[in-house]
Amino acid sequence: MTAVQTRSLTKHFRDVAAIDGVDLDLDEGRVHGLLGRNGAGKTTLMKLLTGQVFATSGQMRVLGEAPVENASVLARTCFIQESQKYPDGFRPRDVLRIAEGLYPAWDRELARELIGEFRLPEKRPIAKLSRGQLSAVGIILGLASRAPVTFFDEPYLGLDAVARRLFFDRLLADFAEHPRTVILSTHHIDEVSNLLEHVVLLDGGRVVIDAEAEELQAAAIEVSGRAEEVREFVGDADLLHLQEIGALATAAVHADRGRAERARAAGLQVAPVSLQNYIVHRTNTAVEQTAAIS
Amino acid sequence: MRYRSVIDMHVVNRMQAFGWPPVVGALSLLLVLAIGAIVGSQGPDARAGMYEGMTWNGAIFAVLGPMIGYGFTSMGQYFPLALGLGLTRREFATGVSLVFLGNAAVYSAVITFGKIIEVATGGFGLQIRFFDVFYTGTGPAWQTLVQTFLLILGVLFLGAAITAAYLRFGQPFLWIAGAVLSMLAVAILAGIVLLDGFGRGLLELLTMSWGPWMAVIAVIGAASAGIWLLLVRRTQTR
Amino acid sequence: MLDESKPLFIAVADQIEDGVLDGTYPEETPVPSTNELAAFLRINPATAGKGLNRLADAGVLVKRRGVGMFVAPGATDLVRRRRREDFRQAYIAPLLREADHLGLTTQELITMLTEEAPR
Repeated sequence: MTAVQTRSLTKHFRDVAAIDGVDLDLDEGRVHGLLGRNGAGKTTLMKLLTGQVFATSGQMRVLGEAPVENASVLARTCFIQESQKYPDGFRPRDVLRIAEGLYPAWDRELARELIGEFRLPEKRPIAKLSRGQLSAVGIILGLASRAPVTFFDEPYLGLDAVARRLFFDRLLADFAEHPRTVILSTHHIDEVSNLLEHVVLLDGGRVVIDAEAEELQAAAIEVSGRAEEVREFVGDADLLHLQEIGALATAAVHADRGRAERARAAGLQVAPVSLQNYIVHRTNTAVEQTAAIS
Repeated sequence: MRYRSVIDMHVVNRMQAFGWPPVVGALSLLLVLAIGAIVGSQGPDARAGMYEGMTWNGAIFAVLGPMIGYGFTSMGQYFPLALGLGLTRREFATGVSLVFLGNAAVYSAVITFGKIIEVATGGFGLQIRFFDVFYTGTGPAWQTLVQTFLLILGVLFLGAAITAAYLRFGQPFLWIAGAVLSMLAVAILAGIVLLDGFGRGLLELLTMSWGPWMAVIAVIGAASAGIWLLLVRRTQTR
Repeated sequence: MLDESKPLFIAVADQIEDGVLDGTYPEETPVPSTNELAAFLRINPATAGKGLNRLADAGVLVKRRGVGMFVAPGATDLVRRRRREDFRQAYIAPLLREADHLGLTTQELITMLTEEAPR
């Protein structure tokens, strides 16, 4: 079953289209990466799917039902928002206690453990927490809720390397034991690329990529060598990126069938292109195309 | 029932929910008692005059005033968290309405109780008025109960409605609402100055009997509640 | 930890195969579960599972209902045979290509190999 489905989903803020005709099918029980630059529409999409804002047009289904004002869907959906506001004077323990009453599958034991591991001062007013501690509140809530559909919007903000790894390991372990649908938005693509099964790249409110992570990891190769030979090899193939330093050049190209072998045969160095670099290349290409059209 | 979480949110700040109103109320009562003791020492005439004048004593607003702030806070601070935790707007509205009703019931009961004691003890023996004033009704106790209940409820919904309108329409709402209110004030002032009999008519209107006044408060409260419910169903978080 | 030049699930399968070859996972003993492997390698459990299933399909591992995956009897030989075949493709072919670039004859190459090989 699909956990999330949208058709021609569109959201305008005044005359700006934050989400522009988005069609998506996100399968249940997988980790989906929702990637894109700031302002690409990731947060707006998640807000639409959790009924925080209303769509201008189009349809959406979460766990098979329309999510807006739907308590049965929202009780099974947890949205950890990067910019979540908390009332004055609220402490982490207050928020977690209230959340416990709202998510049927809440795991109190897990919440306890995570508070300890993240060293979250649960009795300090949230207004006085650091950005990293604030992110930890969201992470603990998102993991302990065990919601069948969990959205993490930039969960990494302000976290140090230890805490980031902790989040990754805990998410992975909990996801393995309690499979659910996770939709993860982050700029730290390299850190999560081995966790993602499916990737959606948004740019300017539109879907640029909607593919299996495995396909994307093999989608491009980087060839390098003498500039002349690289240019000749690349020819008029789809070029993602080209960089020349003196007589040397490096080019990222789509890995069509046999291209890597041909590059090696032509005496060029071949290297894989990481998901992060591929996403960066594709985002830049999308920008260039938009610029070319307008 | 999920709406209970909304009630839980409202009592997280125990001082804000249960602590400050009694403390502030008690302090202002003490202040009024002190004034009563000082004025009372100047003889029975002064005391009788004070008893009359204190009909308009607004010290009770130390308790009633923060209520409008409570309405603001519900919409401005608890609404984004409620939605963030997956509550529907309907559940939020149900919870908040119950909080407001509970508030109005408790405070109107406390004030009525205070008034009964105040009247029975002749202004706590000092001929002062704190609970038994114009705003809470100087008539029988049941009138005070009804009046304060309606007043508090109306003020809470009004605060929530104003904040909801602000969230829905943004800054322009404040400008337009401010402009409309000041135009209304100017119009009334102009009417009093320029039109013969306007001021007297207005005074008669304002001094109408208890029943019609309650109807006015009830209508304002109901309209606020209605507008708030209407707006909250369409309010988005930012 | 994993070879990044090939798809992740294949890298996972190769790593388990290495373990079978060098005796880390003797025949008829269990290999790590999908979740253990996922946690250890920090990869999605689905990917880890795909790697294990690839080995099961190839006959290197066998599924035992309710217990998990075990190294199949005869798996060491199976893996060694296939790896030897791959060795030709992965090492001999590039070796000859490079030797050709450098103008080395096959005879010279054999001499080099003999000299380098430990007694």
